[in-house]
Amino acid sequence: MSAVPPTVEAILARFRYRPDEESGGLAELSTANVEPDRASGGDELQLLTFGLGKGEYAVGLGTVTEILRARTLTEIPRARPPLLGVLNLRGTITPVYDPSLRLGLAGPAQPCAGPDCPRPARAARILVVRTALGPAGLWVDRVRGVQRVRPGALERPRGGPTGGVVGVLSTPEGSCTIVDPEWLFR
Amino acid sequence: MSADLQAVDVCAFWVGDAVYGIDVARVDEILPRVVPLPVADAPAHVEGVVHVQGTAVPIVNLRRLLPGGLSPRTAKPKVILARLGRRRVGLRVDGMAGVRRYTLADIRPATSVRGVLAITGDECRLLDLRELLADPAAPGRPDL
Repeated sequence: MSAVPPTVEAILARFRYRPDEESGGLAELSTANVEPDRASGGDELQLLTFGLGKGEYAVGLGTVTEILRARTLTEIPRARPPLLGVLNLRGTITPVYDPSLRLGLAGPAQPCAGPDCPRPARAARILVVRTALGPAGLWVDRVRGVQRVRPGALERPRGGPTGGVVGVLSTPEGSCTIVDPEWLFR
Repeated sequence: MSADLQAVDVCAFWVGDAVYGIDVARVDEILPRVVPLPVADAPAHVEGVVHVQGTAVPIVNLRRLLPGGLSPRTAKPKVILARLGRRRVGLRVDGMAGVRRYTLADIRPATSVRGVLAITGDECRLLDLRELLADPAAPGRPDL
């Protein structure tokens, strides 16, 4: 042990975070050791199904980074549909869009942004999706869950994807339209 | 700004009956309920990993690394998602104690506990997270 106590500056140099510091020593845990929660058959598709109005829709689970409980958004003056407003997502300003416009549905019955808007519906959620321009939010009426399907179970549109519709999945509860999330607001 | 260099912002939390702090710049997120997946061959202080936005993050229980008595009954356990270099680590703590700003005059060096750099006037122990989480068997660590 050294006899000279370290100076406060030296202490703070070790205390402060630097992005380029080494993280060595933290026990390296490989994810290969993690017990998988369920055996997955190699080419299974994972879809996140959600509801808008009376319809059921789905997007690929891989593009969705987060599902937030819907909250009041910050309004953008003269924002044009489908942009509803913005959301501060842990410091990143994230635009939130209304997917119903592209899908030919009636938009939300009530405003979602600004100080005067009513409290969002309990079941409403914001899906945060990864895009080339950063995260973007999609305001949906409800989130149903994750569905694992084999690619063969999808009915794909003839002649490749039309617009943003990737395919249709028929389930005992009804059919569910699989869409490209970026197409919903581009 | 020179004013920023004269003060330090600390994210303070409870471990047992003591308050510890890390640099607020390290803190990414505070998660209320975390159930880690157990990992084979993990060190005793690592509870497991959780998947956070697509990456596996180890969860370290700080009670197993730091001295501390019984936690207050009102404590709400949380997991602090902290940055360590380019990686992230989850720190399980007994409760949050807010963000505190200290000036350099508040900070006194402390060397008796591994990973604890300094103690402030109101008994918040500042942690060297890299030293605390370093593998004890790894070479090059200064002998305390």
